[in-house]
Amino acid sequence: MPIIDHLQVLKGLTVQEAMRRQVIRLDQNAFLDQAIRAMTKFKVNALLVMGQDQAALGVVSKTDLMTAYYGGLPLQTPLESIMVGPPLFCQPQDSLDVALDQMREFRVHRLYVRGGENEAVIGVLAFPDIVGMLYRFCYRCDRSLLQRRERQDDLNWDESFLVREVMTPEVTVFSETDSLFDVMGGLAEFKFGAVPLADSSGQPTGVVSKSDLVMAYLHGLDPETEAKLVMSSPVVVCDQEELLLTVIKRLIFADLHRIFVYKDRPQDLVGVLSLSDAARFRSGSCRACLVSRIKI
Amino acid sequence: MGEFAKDVMEPRFLTVTPEQTITAAVQVFRQAAEATGERVFGLMVTDHQGKLVGMLSMYDIFLLIRPKHIHIWGEMSDLELSGIIDAACHQAGKMLVGDIMTTDLITITPDTHLLHVLDIMIKKHVRRIPVIDAGQVVGIVYISRVFNSLLEKLTGAAAACR
Repeated sequence: MPIIDHLQVLKGLTVQEAMRRQVIRLDQNAFLDQAIRAMTKFKVNALLVMGQDQAALGVVSKTDLMTAYYGGLPLQTPLESIMVGPPLFCQPQDSLDVALDQMREFRVHRLYVRGGENEAVIGVLAFPDIVGMLYRFCYRCDRSLLQRRERQDDLNWDESFLVREVMTPEVTVFSETDSLFDVMGGLAEFKFGAVPLADSSGQPTGVVSKSDLVMAYLHGLDPETEAKLVMSSPVVVCDQEELLLTVIKRLIFADLHRIFVYKDRPQDLVGVLSLSDAARFRSGSCRACLVSRIKI
Repeated sequence: MGEFAKDVMEPRFLTVTPEQTITAAVQVFRQAAEATGERVFGLMVTDHQGKLVGMLSMYDIFLLIRPKHIHIWGEMSDLELSGIIDAACHQAGKMLVGDIMTTDLITITPDTHLLHVLDIMIKKHVRRIPVIDAGQVVGIVYISRVFNSLLEKLTGAAAACR
């Protein structure tokens, strides 16, 4: 990530300023279990699949691995059998604007960056990295709402935002006795990254994410297994009236991407807050710059 | 000092299993260092039959501890970060060795020539290589042992030139 040492708005930013140079890649003949280990270790949601001649052939994501689990593929299946290819590419000098348009058009969360004389893959542009970088720029920009609020109202801005202003007000709860099959079906249908589980009394007891499901796959669990056996527990929740800053801190400390939000009582989940939500809201506070027009 | 892997390999080694937690594996790192009197930054992972199934390195554990979202919060000076390392270590410690071990293995035999060992270490960017004989792990060659062995030979060659 570049060092943010200036206060200009984001217009004119290029891919190379936002891309990540570490690209996790595996050979097309590597097996699915190797991909799960690599994604777990490097904490990424997808990796690049390479051919024998070092050409980038495709991409395998956690969603693809979850689908392989759902379909009963053995872990010793080569990646080339489930990869989606060819990958989508951009150039380091492309504007971030153009790259984001490309991501929206093809409904992908990442582009691989090719450059140099031989057009080798030199980086990856993933949406979470863009969000993080935008946040960093906006955090320092004196045109942002954050700065203006501080000056005009003489308030500490981090006390001004509440979770309910930023969260996605939609959540689907599964039963903890539902099978992994059921949960995988739900995640695919609603395009969620994770769902909360509840016991028979409706009390939220845990969360199952795509990461939990691919780990279940790696550990050889039958997909008919009850979801509660793989869930992360307890459900990390917050009150919708809590300060955004407090909740972001909790997400960071737990190394989580999202937290479920309740109203009045912890069992009454009303939404979900992800770091992307938080970054989008806070980055998007300034209407003068490109940030505010980015859709996640 | 001879010229083969068997001459530089460390025959005393401890291993971990894929089912052990990272917390348990870290204890083995310490025990291995005490047993050999050298710093140990990588362990072999064996199954219950003693067959080599993976490698676990210090770098693997670093990757696991590194917070996923660090790129977002790196400049958030308004966040109180005390306790972040403890939290990251607590999370990482619960994972299993088999969840993050490297399974793309490079091995040698006791009779692999030292220059061949050197070549593998350079080309594959590895600092330790398990030594396998008849399907069983018999030792491990550390890059420091290779270097020390070559130092002796280089010193000897220099003395002969004088």
